[in-house]
Amino acid sequence: MLSLLLLIPFLGAFVLLLSPSNPPPGRMRAIAITTLALQLLWSLRVLLAFDPHQGGMQLQDSLSWVPMIGLDYRLGIDGLSLPLVLMNGALTLVSAVCTRDISQRPRIYFALLLLISGAVNGAFLAENLLLFFLFYELELIPLWLLISIWGGTERAYAATKFLIFTAISGVLILGAFLGLALFTGTVDFSLTPIVSERLSMGSQLVLLVSLLIGFGIKIPLVPFHTWLPDAHTQASSPVSVLLAGVLLKLGTYGLLRFCLGLFPQAWALVAPWLAIWAAVSVLYGSLAAIAQRDMKRMVAYSSVGHMGMILLAAAAATPVSLLGAVFQMVSHGLISALLFLLVGIVYRKTGTRDLEVLRGLLNPERGLPFTGTLMILGVMASAGLPGMAGFISEFLVFRGSIGVFPLATLLCMLGSGLTAVYFLLLVNRAYFGRMAITPPSEDPSADARLDIRLSGVALRETLPALGISLAVVGLGLVPAGLGWLSETTATAMAELPALLLAASHGGLG
Amino acid sequence: MPVIPALLTHAGGRPSVEALEARLLAGQTLLADTPEHVLEVVDVLNSYGVVLDAYSKNLIFQAERQFLNPFPVFRFLDGDLSPAKIWRHLNGDRINFEYAEYCMKAMLWHGTGGLDAYLDSEPFAANCTAIIRHKTGRDPLLALLHPLFPNFLPEAIRAAATTHALGQFWRVMSDLFLDLARAEADGTVRNIAEVVAFIKAGLVNAAANPITYGVQLGGERFWVLPPEAGLTFLVDVAVPYVEAVFLRGMPFLGTVSFNAQAQQISPDQAQFAYGALYADPLPTMGAGIPPSLLMQDMYRHLPERLHALYRQRSRGEGDVRVKICMSFQKSMFCVTNAAIDGTFPHALGTAVPAEQAANRAYARAWAERLAVARTDCLDPFGS
Repeated sequence: MLSLLLLIPFLGAFVLLLSPSNPPPGRMRAIAITTLALQLLWSLRVLLAFDPHQGGMQLQDSLSWVPMIGLDYRLGIDGLSLPLVLMNGALTLVSAVCTRDISQRPRIYFALLLLISGAVNGAFLAENLLLFFLFYELELIPLWLLISIWGGTERAYAATKFLIFTAISGVLILGAFLGLALFTGTVDFSLTPIVSERLSMGSQLVLLVSLLIGFGIKIPLVPFHTWLPDAHTQASSPVSVLLAGVLLKLGTYGLLRFCLGLFPQAWALVAPWLAIWAAVSVLYGSLAAIAQRDMKRMVAYSSVGHMGMILLAAAAATPVSLLGAVFQMVSHGLISALLFLLVGIVYRKTGTRDLEVLRGLLNPERGLPFTGTLMILGVMASAGLPGMAGFISEFLVFRGSIGVFPLATLLCMLGSGLTAVYFLLLVNRAYFGRMAITPPSEDPSADARLDIRLSGVALRETLPALGISLAVVGLGLVPAGLGWLSETTATAMAELPALLLAASHGGLG
Repeated sequence: MPVIPALLTHAGGRPSVEALEARLLAGQTLLADTPEHVLEVVDVLNSYGVVLDAYSKNLIFQAERQFLNPFPVFRFLDGDLSPAKIWRHLNGDRINFEYAEYCMKAMLWHGTGGLDAYLDSEPFAANCTAIIRHKTGRDPLLALLHPLFPNFLPEAIRAAATTHALGQFWRVMSDLFLDLARAEADGTVRNIAEVVAFIKAGLVNAAANPITYGVQLGGERFWVLPPEAGLTFLVDVAVPYVEAVFLRGMPFLGTVSFNAQAQQISPDQAQFAYGALYADPLPTMGAGIPPSLLMQDMYRHLPERLHALYRQRSRGEGDVRVKICMSFQKSMFCVTNAAIDGTFPHALGTAVPAEQAANRAYARAWAERLAVARTDCLDPFGS
């Protein structure tokens, strides 16, 4: 059943790449959208088959692939991966829908989009460490191409930086997985925490730190974050949506699944340091966002801040905080996707994202009033206002973590408050006041006389953003659905250290 | 980043004081003469004429039939209290008479010219005393109110007098603008100079019309603005109206806010420049901002020819009220142009040096005020 989540997008990519004639871009887009819609429908079918009361992997598909090196094709899904698979399906579809007027190599563009979506599904579903690594690497090159071919003027720099950082991340992760096999003397790469229990604490720490840095680059956490603002600034809007909404989640997923999941004892040891790292990341991301004048860079830095909260939740590793981590992954995915979409609309209409230049875009007749309205909704959600997705996820993270790491949690709360600061700066500068889309001149009265003729935003351009906005509000008002899906898994993960401790003392059974 | 902004922004011309003065003295029009400008001005004044007709009737109704009514809840219904009319009113399917009140308040507050002088005179105070004595004898609420707040009822009577005077002024202007549309349709008005001349002729014809206002209270008639006050159309109402509504206006709450404490609003009322000729068409379109109400009203009565022209430009229907505002400013420059032409102290062709100097000073004073107005709409391509 889960294999179809890989097969559908991969098959779609092959159909696009191998179609004999040269179909018009519109038809290729239609093929991509149909494939992604099928993928999303199948994800929903998986959701229906999923039993939320089971903590472990379910609906497993298994095939012995290359047993000599321990590479098994084993897929499974639990309450941690299911929301991410659903989000991947939804946001890749949004990315494809948002891609309009693509004249340059549309065949490769849509094929890469499908390839990424399939690879991300594979990474979320893999139950074998090597299989995970394969899929983790598989999305790397397509994304590099998406930035370096369809990006902005500095795309070569940004894409190469992204490639180098993420390649190092891959090497560290592969090194840790191989080290696990080396230290334990087996070639069993299946996903089980019992393996690490045979290792000394020193070996566990070495492997864990390697994984932490590997996934820390992908998330990204300070100081490994510098590739992200560049990549976002140069990537086109649909690619930014994919990057922020889905691909960064590979990092946090890896953090929870492999760092916490494989090395629960070593994790408990380093957790206080991780909490401090999380607080630094949150505060740095937020403060850096305040200093930005490019709207997209500001949203990118806000990602650094918000992803830090997932590290805090993972460090605390209580049932509530881990549930909060799942919520934060979903809500950050939705909110940042929404913000990138809206910034994309502003950029397309005005030709700039510069906060020193843009003014008054809420102007009801000549500006972008509906885009602005959704933007205000998005920044409110990001700042954690009640009734929207950001509130429930941050509340759960803080509620679950404050008992364990009170100081780090308080600092993260401060960072959450700073979200309101930089996003209000953004809204106040770009959306209020007398409309302007050119740099202020030396004569304010001349600026006040400029007539501005932006073209209107058609409803179809706003529909994807509207859909995500509804999801953001929906998740905020009815969070129980996601809680119901992930609660058992989060609780099971939180109990891992105690379980292992009991096992090591012969207390099981 | 792509360089789109240069295509998306348009800076209109900004004629200097000298250039404006020269045009006025040469008898040239302020607005450039193009066929499109003629269409815009005539059609926008046509819809304005229809709206002014409704404003005028309602203001006169309010002044005569809602006089000193402490709770004038139904003042916008022109006496028709049928459920259908009330439903349409509540549903927003109506003319925004609030804009007319806004203009009346601007006139009352800025208080320039002969009407304002009369409202502060002894004879007016005597009229007020008689009216209040008669009214308080029959109305216990006013009888209680008047001794407590002795300035309240006289001020309400001043507001009613301004309301009636503005109603009379707009009556003339409405007919004038509708006549202009007919003249253009007949082919007697073909360019901007003829538009200005037509308006000037209308103003001059009505210049000496008396402005009077009396109320009927319990079968007895009282003068508020009696004929012997000698108030006339042009000098006592039209000129103060232009001063209050076209030039000074009021800094209203909009998408741009003013900080009065930082003196962003001049403490000197005479220095105000928030009137129709200075209004920024872009941020004034928010709900509840007075000029946007006028644009909504004019949109309801827009001639199809102008509507079709708007549909071809920029966002079509999407920003139609901004376009109406821009055309309206052009037409108001024509009306101002006509008013200036009609009020030069001496004929423009005079050969007497002293008269020429007086004309020059008059043109200079106007040019200085207009130079900081939205003259960017005056160019041929400023649409």
